[in-house]
Amino acid sequence: MNPGFMQQQEAFFSVNDHHHLQDMFTLGMVDKDSALNIVKPDPEMEECWVGFDAGAYGGQLGYGYLNQNTALKVSNIHGNASSVLVSPKKRKADKGQTLQVVSEKEKKIKGCCDRDSKLTRQNSNGNNNSNGNNHNKEASTKATSKDKPKVSEDQKKDYIHVRARRGQATDSHSLAERVRREKISERMKYLQDLVPGCNKIIGKAGMLDEIINYVQSLQKQVEFLSMKLASVNPELDFNMDNTFTKEMFDSSTSEFPALACSSANSAYFDQLNSLDQVVSYRGLDMGINSAEMGLRSISSPISIPETFMDSSFFNQTATWDADLQNLYKMEFEQGRLIPFQSHQFTGLNDAK
Amino acid sequence: MSPPQQPTSINPNSLKIRLAYRFLHNLNNLNTKRSNLDNTRIRRSHRVKLAAYASMAYVVGSRRAWSRAILWKIRNRAVLARFKRVDHKITTPLRHHHVHAGSAKRRTPNYSNPKREYSDPFGNSGQEVKLRKLVPGSSTMDALGLLDETADYIKCLATQVEVMKNLVDLYSII
Repeated sequence: MNPGFMQQQEAFFSVNDHHHLQDMFTLGMVDKDSALNIVKPDPEMEECWVGFDAGAYGGQLGYGYLNQNTALKVSNIHGNASSVLVSPKKRKADKGQTLQVVSEKEKKIKGCCDRDSKLTRQNSNGNNNSNGNNHNKEASTKATSKDKPKVSEDQKKDYIHVRARRGQATDSHSLAERVRREKISERMKYLQDLVPGCNKIIGKAGMLDEIINYVQSLQKQVEFLSMKLASVNPELDFNMDNTFTKEMFDSSTSEFPALACSSANSAYFDQLNSLDQVVSYRGLDMGINSAEMGLRSISSPISIPETFMDSSFFNQTATWDADLQNLYKMEFEQGRLIPFQSHQFTGLNDAK
Repeated sequence: MSPPQQPTSINPNSLKIRLAYRFLHNLNNLNTKRSNLDNTRIRRSHRVKLAAYASMAYVVGSRRAWSRAILWKIRNRAVLARFKRVDHKITTPLRHHHVHAGSAKRRTPNYSNPKREYSDPFGNSGQEVKLRKLVPGSSTMDALGLLDETADYIKCLATQVEVMKNLVDLYSII
């Protein structure tokens, strides 16, 4: 997926022992989120967030279920061992300390959002350091805790993670309200990261205004771009035809220079009779290519000049990357397009 | 998400690729179906816009409330448009005007659940109402869900805008 994810997994590997990960591999659910979840199994608060992240990566699985499953499984496997058990014990601890723990969890959740900071933290924690830290904290909480830690059965039940600090209201309504407010501020922070130019604004009202404006502008952009596409699109079949031949020529010269097949041009054009498949295929390619082009500017969606720059440097031979050539090769192997002699085709293209 | 340097390391499951694929698929469907549509420009751009939203919703699937709402709306819109076309044939010769007005009206869907108007977490609820109007399908959610959906919707919408921009650039170059 992304290199950060892999590194994070490796870091996790180094932090915990191998049985963890092997078990989780057999479960087939090693993910960033679930891996994070082992460190702090916190099902209710994170389900939303995991789903939230999964929106980005498009996993079709029921993440919440998996999370609970992993947490349970891991806790069953490791009865008393390592950092898995830290958070339930902490949850059983004193009032002031639990709130602190919750804030720490929130930090971790944020780290889940921006992967890089999480990664650096994991790396800076190093091998045994984080484990040692967790053990230290566990020891301190244990020293001040009154309750016995009942580990495995508490993991299902807990859905209120916040307890009141000294001087705060302790009835369940205000606790729930506090949880809700914290969640809202979490999401607001996440939205703040999403919306560009929202970082400087302090205060929820201004941020909401900015978010609303951004959504509106995005919708207007979609409308405008669809108008543009609609004006471009009618000539699209014809264009696709031409560019298809052109790019076929390009890829053939770049990848199959040595291919000398004696096939007539008419055969090639006979193949073009199944134009709908070809056109759709070609469209897919263009989509991939343009998407790949746009990946560079993914962090700043509004910046029109940047994308203009990107695509104005669109050079068909230069960016015709290996993936697409593989696709072409596949196409060739499927025999839909008969390979042709490049010299012949250059002549044809020029004549055309 | 660091952008991959080599083009061989494109993640085929990334949101952008899937959006682009689905959007182009929809556009192709639109092109093949073009013969039996009246091909005015406004209608066509409207169709492209629908294709964009439909591709977004399709890619996200039914996990999100906004995508469910979009899919539902598009599906029902097809039924409604059938009725409307019959109406147009009977009554009005001015199709342009009506289509345009209809699309403008449809863009701001009605939210008919005043009971679920939660107490505002934001200070003033006018913003929340505005946001609910913008994010599809968020009329029946509480504030937390609204923020969740908004974030996901923004993500998808920004990606879709990118894809469309790149497509427009590509086609205008060609």
